[in-house]
Parts: sequence; structure tokens; C-alpha cells
Amino acid sequence: MVWYTVKRLIQGIITVWFIATATFWAMHQVPGDPFIGEKAVSPEVEANLKARWGLDKPAYEQYAIFLVNMARGDFGISFTQESRSVNEIIQERFPVSAILGILAIVFAGLGGVLYGALTALYRNQWPDVIIILLVIIGISVPSFVFASVGQLVLVTINQILGFTLLPVAGWGDVAHMLVPALVLGLGTMAFLTRLMRSSMLEIVSADFIRTARSKGVPAAQVFSRHQLRNAVLPVITVLGPSVASITTGGFVVENIFGIPGLGQSFVLAVQQSDYGVIMGTTVFYGAFLVLMVIIVDLLYAWIDPRVRLE
Amino acid sequence: MALLEVNDLHVEFTTYGGIVHAVRGVDFAVDEGETLAIVGESGCGKSVTMQSIMGLIPMPPGRITKGTALLQGHDIIQNKIIDGRDIRGNFVGMIFQDPMSSLNPTMTIGAQIAEPLEVHRGYSHRDAMKRAVELLDLVQIPEAAKRSRQYPFEFSGGMLQRSMIAMAIACEPLVLIADEPSTALDVTIQAQILDLVESIQRETGMAIVLITHDLGVVARLADTVTVMYAGEVMEAGSVDDVFYRSAHPYTLGLKEAMPTNQTGRTRQLKPIDGTPPDLFAPPEGCAYAARCPHAMEVCLDHNPDPFAIHDEHRTKCWLHHEDCDVEAEGLFQAA
Repeated sequence: MVWYTVKRLIQGIITVWFIATATFWAMHQVPGDPFIGEKAVSPEVEANLKARWGLDKPAYEQYAIFLVNMARGDFGISFTQESRSVNEIIQERFPVSAILGILAIVFAGLGGVLYGALTALYRNQWPDVIIILLVIIGISVPSFVFASVGQLVLVTINQILGFTLLPVAGWGDVAHMLVPALVLGLGTMAFLTRLMRSSMLEIVSADFIRTARSKGVPAAQVFSRHQLRNAVLPVITVLGPSVASITTGGFVVENIFGIPGLGQSFVLAVQQSDYGVIMGTTVFYGAFLVLMVIIVDLLYAWIDPRVRLE
Repeated sequence: MALLEVNDLHVEFTTYGGIVHAVRGVDFAVDEGETLAIVGESGCGKSVTMQSIMGLIPMPPGRITKGTALLQGHDIIQNKIIDGRDIRGNFVGMIFQDPMSSLNPTMTIGAQIAEPLEVHRGYSHRDAMKRAVELLDLVQIPEAAKRSRQYPFEFSGGMLQRSMIAMAIACEPLVLIADEPSTALDVTIQAQILDLVESIQRETGMAIVLITHDLGVVARLADTVTVMYAGEVMEAGSVDDVFYRSAHPYTLGLKEAMPTNQTGRTRQLKPIDGTPPDLFAPPEGCAYAARCPHAMEVCLDHNPDPFAIHDEHRTKCWLHHEDCDVEAEGLFQAA
């Protein structure tokens, strides 16, 4: 178990290195640099700045410097936000994204398991039909559409009520988080619902459920102790990739709802060719995702004793 | 009054293709310390009979349309509770054909054996686990304490079936229903499992209802036999009566289809020609008539009532009617 974890962590580090390398070279292939913008700077100033940040050196040399700094956990400073280090920006902005992401995962997980179990219990009856219809919509419609529709609905509700029930955009307290988190988790929730439904239907007719009932175990206990735990296994399997889709989905949703999260600053950095921030956020996200997948794998082994990690 | 008595049980399943009449009037009774074997080919309703009594068939599509099942005089078809306690796992234990899939893969063996004790006897989890270790010991699983903390995938098939037995007898049931307990196991393990069941019965005096299609097993364990075909009882009686004084052509057919290992005897296995009737539309007459080498005109149109050869031996065959001119005695003796 310990050895497995170590092995996975080493693999993870290699993965992150790949991500960093690919991003670095892709970034440098994109035309333009941090100094091409609306604020024109004189050639002398530009040359000075380039010399200061080492941007006049050949790319491979910059790459070597970047790797050394990355190994020390230093991503340098932002070119566009004066006198702020990339690490500071991540520290400030990641908690916002993390809260939003966690809330979205909670929505998606709880909703998926609940609706999935519900559809399985009411198989082919109207709750099942309605939920499955919604699931299809949830899976096929991208999150930015839900985000816009969500805002529209909020505006309408607030107008009708005459006061602000839930704010349409911005960041502050729980009221700001609910709708963006729901929008962010919706696609994953739909996916998990479908998975949970088929998994529940498979387990309902499993031999060991019959055994449990032959032991006289009360129905509620059969459901919670025997059925749910086994049915939830496939859901946990996809939780790792779900974290990925929710985090990447976060870029768009954060932008639409004006949430000052890491996703927003990432998008902004790409638009401005802010090299330091691009590299910092990409590597950070990459490492975060790799870690999540590892955690889910460990979690899976804990729930299903048949999974032996070696 | 017998310990468990089933009368005229009818079970149907509603499917897209129509209504399947899976069980059509089954009677049997079993007493304390007695072993009743229910035999018959696949799909004849053996398992459905027992599972419907235990409330284990999904309803819908299944339903019990008629009949009673009395456990110590209490009807258990409508009400699975006697004196405020669920009979299942408590008064009636059950083991199944495939031990590999019949145990919960994500619970330890010990916890699964402990579960009925917690549910029915109000044991604390700690006490129930202690008792589970004793039960594992009783069913001859070595290193029971260690094994009780393991999961089903760490056990062999034979050990899983032993664990199932331990689970079924945890609350010292009056009746053990064994649904083909040895079919999925290899031959040497089969014998061990059957020995184990037999020895537990000697100690506890529980009744056993053994569902099987292995006549060898029947001969070894059973006191009485019920032969089922197409959801009906074709012949019922003591093991000696049914085996050595068989009174139904279907029983004869089953015996002929059984391999022997007697030296010097070289005969081909004789299969029963044809297939069982369609239970969507069961035949008017005797269900076996279409495959019966001795079928008469009356067999095709009229379903016979059981004839009593003597008190304990019944058969559902027109050959035993007093007006039947076929020398039934000779036919059945010859086989």
C-alpha cells in the first residue's frame, strides 16, 4: 500500500513534468509575448524588460531555468500584475476555485447517487422517465450554456421578487456559490446518475442481495449495507476523471459568474501571454488532478476489498 | 401437524411474453430432523417453490396466486413475521447454489455471519462477531478467527459454501432450505459439504429441504422425496418407495438417465426425449404425456389427481387408475 502510493506519486511527478514541458513549448510557439498589448512600450524599455526577465535568452536556456525554479517550487512573478509572484496569485485564488469545485463535486456526487438510486427504484415509472430525460440534457449541454441560462433565470427571479434572492454574479458568501457550483456540477451529476442507475439495477438482482433477504435483514438495511455500497463502486471509479472535468469546466463558469478563482486568472493569463502565470497555474492544475486521481484510487481500494494495490 | 407444510401452492410470473405458470399446485411436508429432497430437471419450479415461500422472488413480476405454507401452523405466505420476528434467517435458514456470488463481496465473512444474529437475536456487533468465529469453527474452517476478518474473494468455493452454512444456521433455524448446495462445487468438496449438513442436522435436529437434481445426493441424504415436473408434483414418498418402487414414468426416466459406475454394466445413458412443456400455456392433460413412453389417450386431455399407492406414497399418473388395463405393477417393477 505504502509502496504503491510512492510509486504512484513518482509516476505523478513524471506526468506533471510532461505537462509542464508540453505547455512551455506550446506557449513559446504562440505568436506574441507579454509586451504586445494595448500599452505600447518603446523598444528600449522592451529590450530592458526582456533582459530583466531573461526573455532574450534562447528558449532552451529559459526552459532549463524554468525547470530548476519549478523544482524549487518557484514560478517567478506575473508580467502583468505588478510585483506579484505567481505563487501569491495561486495562494489567493485557488481557495476560491477549490471551494467552488468541492461544492460542485458534492452536488454532483450526492445528486448522482440519489437520483440514480431513485431511478432504479422507480424503474420505467414516471420519476425514472423524467430524470433520465433531464440526464440526457445534462450530459449533452455544455456548462457555459447552463451558466448563461442560470444567470438569466436568476435575474428573472430577482426581478419578480423585487429583491435579490441570490446574486447573479460575483463572490462573497454562500449565496454567491450555490448557483455556480450547481451549474459546474450539473454535467457530472447527470453522468453519475446514469451510472448509478445501471449499477443499482445490476445489484438489485445480485445473488448476495437475495442472500441478505433470506437472512431476514430489514429492507432498509439491505439497501444501505448491501446494495448501496456495491452499487457506488463504479461511481467512485469515475470520480477521479470527474474532478478533472469539473476543474476544467471551472474556467468557463468562473468567467461567466465573475468569480475571482484560479480559472479566471488562468484564462486572463493566456490572453495576455503572461508566461509566469500560465506555467504556474498549468503545473498547479496538473499536479492537483494527478493527486486527485491517486486519492480516488486509494479510496477505491478502501471501499472494495477485492482491489489490491501493488 | 408437520413442521413445514405446503399445500396447493401456485406461483405465476407476468412477463412480456405472457404469464408463466411456474408452480402449479405443489404440496409437501417436512418434519423435525427429517430431510425432504425436491428433485426434477432444470426449470421445473423447484427453486421458485422454495423462494416464493421465503418471499425471495421479485413481486412483481412474480405472485403467489393460491396455496398455503404453514410453519408450525403459522401461515408464512402472507406474513413473514411470527411473534414479532422475521422467520427468514431466524426459523428458516437458506443456502444457495453458487456460493461465489451469494456472499456480499464488500463485507467480511464474519460480519455476514454475524448479521442474522444482530438482526434476530439482538447481539451486539462484538458478540455477534465472536459467535461468528465459533460458527466458522463449527463448519470446520481452519483459523476461524483470522478467516472471519477476510472477504469472500479470499475464500475457495467450498469454504464459501461452509460459510453460507454457518450463516444459515447462526440462529439455529427449525428448517434449512438448501437450494442445490453442492452443484457448483467439485465432487470431493460436494461430499464434504453434504457430510457437514448431515452432521449439523444430527446435532440440531433441524429439518432440511434439499433442492437438487442429483439423484445420488438424494439417495444419500433424503428421508422423503418429491419429484417435480413442469411445476407439479409427479411423485412423492419415502426415498425407498420413490427409488425402488417408482410409480411414475418420469421418475423411471430420471433414473434411466442417471450414470452408474457399476462394473460390468455397460449401457448407454437413456435421455428423456423431448423438452418440458411450455409453461406459458401448460397442457390440459398430464404435463409429462408428450414425453411419456406409456402415454394413453386419457393422459393428453385429463390431468390426473394424485393416486395414493399407500399412505405415504403418492403419484400423479393415470396408469394407477383402477380401470387402467396396462399392467402398471409389471411396468414399474421391470425398471
